[in-house]
Amino acid sequence: MVKEISDKIKEAVASVEPVETPYEQRGYHLAIEATRTNIVDIVNFFDKSGFYLADMCCVDYIDYLEVVYLFNNHNQVCRVKVTLKVDPDKPSAPTISHIYKIARWYEREIHEFFGVLFDGHPFMTYLFLHDQIDFYPLRKKQVPVPEEDKKLLNSFNPGEQEDGFFLNLGPQHPSTHGVLRVVVKMNGEYMLSAEPVLGYLHRMHEKMAENRTYQQFYPNAARMDYLGALNFNLGYVTTVEKLCGIEVPERAQYIRTITAELNRISSHLLWLGAFVADLGGLTPFLYTFDDRENILDILEAVAGSRLTYSYLRFGGLFNDVDDDFVANVRKFIDRLRSRFSMYERLITGNVIFINRVKNIGVMDETYPLKYGCSGPVIRSIGIPFDIRKHEPYAVYDRINFNVATGTNGDNMDRYLVRIKEMEISLDIIEKALKDLPTGPVKAEKIPKKLKPPKGDIYHTVESPRGELGIYIVSDESDVPYRMRWRVPSYSNLMTFPQLAEGSLIADAIATLGSYDLVIPEIDR
Amino acid sequence: MCGLDNIIAIVGKEIVRLILGLIGVLIVVVVNALILTWVERKVSGHMQKRIGPKEVGPYGLIQPIADGLKLLGKELLTPANVDKPLYYLAPVIVFIPVLVSFIVIPFDGFLQVKDINVGILVILAFSSLSVLSILIAGWGSNNKYSLIGATRSVAQNIAYEIPLLLSLLPVVFMANSLSLKDIVEAQRDGWFVWRWQFFAFLIYFIAATAETNRTPFDLPEAESELVAGFHTEYSGMRFALFFLAEYTNIFIASAIATTFFLGGYLGPVLPGIVWFFIKTYFLVFVIMWFRWTFPRVRFDQLLNFSWKILIPVAFANLIVTGGILKL
Amino acid sequence: MGKGGFHLETKEPIIKLAIAEKFINLARANSIWPMTFGLACCAIEMMAAAMARFDIARFGAEVFRPSPRQADLMIVNGTVTKKMAPTVVTLYEQMPSPKWVIVMGNCAISGGPFAFEGQYNIIEGIDKLIPVDVYVPGCPPRPEGLLEGLMKLEEKITGTRRFPVPEQKW
Repeated sequence: MVKEISDKIKEAVASVEPVETPYEQRGYHLAIEATRTNIVDIVNFFDKSGFYLADMCCVDYIDYLEVVYLFNNHNQVCRVKVTLKVDPDKPSAPTISHIYKIARWYEREIHEFFGVLFDGHPFMTYLFLHDQIDFYPLRKKQVPVPEEDKKLLNSFNPGEQEDGFFLNLGPQHPSTHGVLRVVVKMNGEYMLSAEPVLGYLHRMHEKMAENRTYQQFYPNAARMDYLGALNFNLGYVTTVEKLCGIEVPERAQYIRTITAELNRISSHLLWLGAFVADLGGLTPFLYTFDDRENILDILEAVAGSRLTYSYLRFGGLFNDVDDDFVANVRKFIDRLRSRFSMYERLITGNVIFINRVKNIGVMDETYPLKYGCSGPVIRSIGIPFDIRKHEPYAVYDRINFNVATGTNGDNMDRYLVRIKEMEISLDIIEKALKDLPTGPVKAEKIPKKLKPPKGDIYHTVESPRGELGIYIVSDESDVPYRMRWRVPSYSNLMTFPQLAEGSLIADAIATLGSYDLVIPEIDR
Repeated sequence: MCGLDNIIAIVGKEIVRLILGLIGVLIVVVVNALILTWVERKVSGHMQKRIGPKEVGPYGLIQPIADGLKLLGKELLTPANVDKPLYYLAPVIVFIPVLVSFIVIPFDGFLQVKDINVGILVILAFSSLSVLSILIAGWGSNNKYSLIGATRSVAQNIAYEIPLLLSLLPVVFMANSLSLKDIVEAQRDGWFVWRWQFFAFLIYFIAATAETNRTPFDLPEAESELVAGFHTEYSGMRFALFFLAEYTNIFIASAIATTFFLGGYLGPVLPGIVWFFIKTYFLVFVIMWFRWTFPRVRFDQLLNFSWKILIPVAFANLIVTGGILKL
Repeated sequence: MGKGGFHLETKEPIIKLAIAEKFINLARANSIWPMTFGLACCAIEMMAAAMARFDIARFGAEVFRPSPRQADLMIVNGTVTKKMAPTVVTLYEQMPSPKWVIVMGNCAISGGPFAFEGQYNIIEGIDKLIPVDVYVPGCPPRPEGLLEGLMKLEEKITGTRRFPVPEQKW
């Protein structure tokens, strides 16, 4: 696959030299250096070959800015890194937003944080930041925002330029689960267009990463996605371990898997309740919370907190689990299995519920390619893309499990996929518990100040919401040079404007609920 | 006592009865709302594996009084840019039909403020007024969510008024009277719900749930979509009046169902008024049960359900009943 | 009158509203309706406090009103960013008085873990913008913490505490 792509791109685009990179250390198979003139051709090539834009970010090397495009394939893992050098004094690059729709947001984001202007981008306004900011936050040197840029960034004022019935969903609205704001243009009950406005909870995680040592950054990972904290924790820890080449003991790997899956179930349970609450049924919310509390008890006993766990450490765990943990998890598995039939009767079989979600918010196969969405959202379309299967981490390669998929890509399928995923997670936990080996849970000789070798790495894990990617650039110091988080909700949410267009407001809210959004994760 | 006799002689027995009745109705309305808020919170609690209000008084019984006192003591906030006359008027209007409806409901054989021979028409005519106040509230609030809620409410009430009426008419045919008391008395041989009018009862109950804006038909105040719907901008006592009216409407809807289909105050051993309240509160409980079980329907589904299913079925039921009675 | 000394009688109010005031305060303390308002991680714990295990309904505070006009209590539960701050202030101003604010979590108290040198996007402490009644620290605080915060608020309103303070055994 890698060889094939490498040959093909040489044919398709002139003067391109793909370099094969060691996947085990770098996390991507191919690296391509692009120039201003051929970047659009390269991106076009990947679009035609069925690749999706997994991530797009920027790194400030002081002498030059580097825009990084990361591509991947849904069928067979082939990660490609394309880099484009940009002049730091007058940074600009050609836009690719007409090829990949998700790039529309990525480019706006890069423009806000680095000042790179993308020529031909249709809608360059503030996405994350407040409008009083007067410098580009992620640049290494203090770079002020020029006046013309400020004007451009402040140009989104719905209702002032055009006529129409505008409705602000959020930032304080019961259905946005946090502080998302969606500016909706309405015609009666129908939505004509929807434009999400992000950044109401931008907590500067990426900036903080450049101010903290690797160890000091543990808690941030948990606070980025508070519902899937252990999965984010796991993603961060495995990335750095991969970068430094740290071996993790067997037992620790198993426990990581078990706790991450428990966390996934608790996240899905909360989503399930919130989703039905969005549709107007409040009671299931309390039932799922009741089940969720059991998981929190188990995890609290080992990790010490209820929500924002920083349980994992580089090279292992904070501490070992005891027999009580194993017994409690077994008890919980039995309990939750018996509860599924109740949820079936209460929710899945309810006529009103079925009518509300069936054939609503239908996605087709083009969505994952154009938007790079992931997780249950794309599995509901029928694409069995799961990082746990495709690029296994922890012990997922040793455990045999299915990937839940749907067929239609509507809200009902997204619901069913998540329900099935909970059952699969229970299976995984059960199998992992059976094989749980004894031994140490911490690797020996992990330095107090971790100084990874020079280079960059892109590593992904499957968070409850989809593909979580972490891109770290290290300069051999104990502080990351640049840490970029590719978060799943971000690209999932990007599909919302297209799905909401022309739908009823009630359906749009059901669709918004079906994404399982966690706003701090999007805003970072 | 002499004074009272004189007054009665001067103004007539009926007027005194009416005034006393109105005072009684006011008490019933307030007490009923207090009880229902408590019941709702307890019912929701127990359905959701919680206990609900517990610490405020024994079993949380004083909770509604605390709520009421608190709402009385809240600032009456008038937002800028509201249409003031309409904004002030809406909570008052919402309350009038509620009071009038109570006048004709027979709580017992003699406990009825006034037995009007077109009783059911009075109730139906006045209960249609409540939608007017919702519309006024939604329009006067100068809030987009309120406006959407109000327009939804109007469409919904128009759609469900018809099956409501159509489901009550067969009973009127069978009882040969529009007076609620006569209708109850006609059920001495058996409740109408068991005498061929089961479908009418079902239709009435669904339509009444919709008319009172309860889940699964609570679209005018759909929390996840419209924040608080038509009363988004109302605070303090004005909001409390909407709240009061909602619970009283539930009670009236259940009371009519009791009167028309479940034999009203008729029942063995216990006095009539006890039977009346048992039946009514059971239906209220069922409406609450709906709320804490079902998700909300969508707007077009709501209207389709009424126009395409409820109205034809109710109409067929009416024709069949009429035909059989005539034969 | 007659409390000894030479107190002027006019010092006593002509209409004694103290008892009514006391009753209304008691009612207020027992019926604190929070606003449905979630910012970040702490919002989940706030939800947990309303759910089956912790059940804030026991104290009559489960009526989460989505509209600020009908709420008595704002629970600021999460990081307040500079973009969000105007909204938080607006929401506070939209609430009818008497109104209270519980600040939940370190982020809203002082910026918490996100206050560092060179930060550009958060308000370090919501009390710089709106008056705060009770602070509940933690990251995030447990639901019990929020319940204790509610007790503290009730104590503040009525002057007496609902439950005795548990004995400290360490």
